[in-house]
Amino acid sequence: MDIINNLLMGFHVALLPYNLLIAMVGLVLGIIIGVLPGLGGANGCAILIPFTFVMPPNAAIILLACVYWGALYGGAITSILFNIPGEPWAVAVTFDGYPMAKNGMPGKALTASFLAHFIGAVFGTILLTFFAPILAEFALKFGPPETFSVMVLTFSAFVGLGGKSPIKTLIATAFGFIMAAVGIDIVSGQLRLTFGTVPLMGGFNFIVAVIGLFGLGEIFLTVEEGLRMDGFAAKLRWKDIKEVLQAMRKYTKTLVMGSIIGVWMGFKPGGATPASFMAYGFEKASSKEKEEFGKGHIAGIFAPEAAAHGAGTSAMIPMITLGIPGSPTAAVILGGLMIWGLTPGPMLFKEKPDFVWGLIASTWVGNFAGVLIILAFAPFFAAVLRAPFAILMPIIVFVCAIGAYAVNNRMIDIWYMILFGIVGYAFKKLDYTMAPMLLALVLGDMAETAMRQSLIMSQGSPLIFFRPPIALALMIVALIIFFWPAISWVKGKLSAKKKT
Amino acid sequence: MRKADIICALILLGIGILIMADSIRLGCGWAMNGPRPGFHPFIMSLIVIIGCLIVIAQAIARKGVAGSKKLFIPKGAIKPVLRVVIPAIGMVILTEYIGLYVAAMIYIGVYMKWIGRYRWRLVILLSLIVPLSTYILFDKLFLVPMPRGILGTMVGF
Repeated sequence: MDIINNLLMGFHVALLPYNLLIAMVGLVLGIIIGVLPGLGGANGCAILIPFTFVMPPNAAIILLACVYWGALYGGAITSILFNIPGEPWAVAVTFDGYPMAKNGMPGKALTASFLAHFIGAVFGTILLTFFAPILAEFALKFGPPETFSVMVLTFSAFVGLGGKSPIKTLIATAFGFIMAAVGIDIVSGQLRLTFGTVPLMGGFNFIVAVIGLFGLGEIFLTVEEGLRMDGFAAKLRWKDIKEVLQAMRKYTKTLVMGSIIGVWMGFKPGGATPASFMAYGFEKASSKEKEEFGKGHIAGIFAPEAAAHGAGTSAMIPMITLGIPGSPTAAVILGGLMIWGLTPGPMLFKEKPDFVWGLIASTWVGNFAGVLIILAFAPFFAAVLRAPFAILMPIIVFVCAIGAYAVNNRMIDIWYMILFGIVGYAFKKLDYTMAPMLLALVLGDMAETAMRQSLIMSQGSPLIFFRPPIALALMIVALIIFFWPAISWVKGKLSAKKKT
Repeated sequence: MRKADIICALILLGIGILIMADSIRLGCGWAMNGPRPGFHPFIMSLIVIIGCLIVIAQAIARKGVAGSKKLFIPKGAIKPVLRVVIPAIGMVILTEYIGLYVAAMIYIGVYMKWIGRYRWRLVILLSLIVPLSTYILFDKLFLVPMPRGILGTMVGF
């Protein structure tokens, strides 16, 4: 009953008029950010961090979280109406969402997507409410070896599950760790990797990296692809909602399956994109109307969208309990936590229950209000995309520069932002995955401290990571996932040999 | 794409070697009280170096495979990309001298007029309103000062 009491306390925080207003502002901003090309949840939150300096932490996290939910909802609009996925996990919905809009039913496609998002959100939030406190309690017992094995598991998940090239993912991750190491060594106090220069002494701030990699890099890509903003007009009628609700009854299994795949995959880092594809593939494989997929089948919208939002929501669970974000946006929110002076990790549940439960309650409120807002105002949000690019682009770059500067009040950060923008552009084109690089930059210090402390404990023997039972289990799973691409490659070779 | 892949990997390889050199300078072995500061960067740079070598080898082996001739930036796309990159860099250079707000005014104005070809009235209106409203919001309400540049500190606004 503890959970119920805590949740009630959380609602008490989330439903304060000021916090409720902040939540609504966050949702509307988030939807706009999700719709705009070149802006997504991660850099949208990063740009807004300077605004949170003047807010109490409870309101600040509600703002950022609601921007995240809004961006998740809003990303679907561009995928369906314009065939331009705003986020990587919105790719799968273009397969059936865009054809359905093309068939003259854009309203129905949008409604289906929003309601599927909502179902995914409910599943994710239930897990967040009931599972996160248990996990946090469990994580309180973690020492340095366990913490380090969780990190290893996190990054092997990226190498094994996401990205086209596992080797490039590995390189990008290592680079993230190297960037995190630049500056003063937290253990010995020595200057590292600064090569005698002053600007490097301050190290790299990951919020600047987010704004550059995900903001500017994305804008450069959008420009290169050339903006063809010829989509369909969005009009939502009562008939659409009624039809979709009927379809939802018919495809309940699809929605539940999609949501479960979503929350399960989203729990592991980098899981949202594979989750949406997996849910789509699973639905298509198990459906009796296979040939309808790709032509605007409603189940082809339900499955990936429920999975994407479920994954997005459950990505908050490791963030709030272990201090390990499950998605780039969650990483930015984690960075916000550090800036507001809070220490992420299992202790947060004990030390700041109003903060944690306020966030959980606002996840309920935000996702519920989000679906109502977007259903009511979808045409207005879609109209944002028609705003001329020559006006939007310089304003976005300007706001990005403000965000990058405000983090540390350093001019050099604006230069880093530009540099990261160019790097992000090149990396995206050459298939280096940026999410693990970013996560390594955020978690670098924590991972390195955990590793060094463990090695001090064991006097240099790496076997310490395999001795405590929890660490051993995590490490075994991590190794299997890490070598998964190699394992499946060998398996493919073997089965090919058998056939010949 | 293949060439760009190799060039990018070579650059990363170079940085990796630099990092490794510095971590060896810091010491990457075992000290009296635990691993030396260079231990962790050393391992990471090792991963980068080995990874880059594999990427380069793979790219070389891909020679002649369909799609390997695809250009890094499609023909005709280089111009619009540069049109975004160069003004953005220009804004940052200007910020060093005249501060972010004035630089943004010029940047937004120039971009709208040059690329967007809007009417002067709209150009001037927007390039004044956007920086001014952010100035009031950040410098006055939030008390988060933005860079003023050399000129700004001299005038003292």
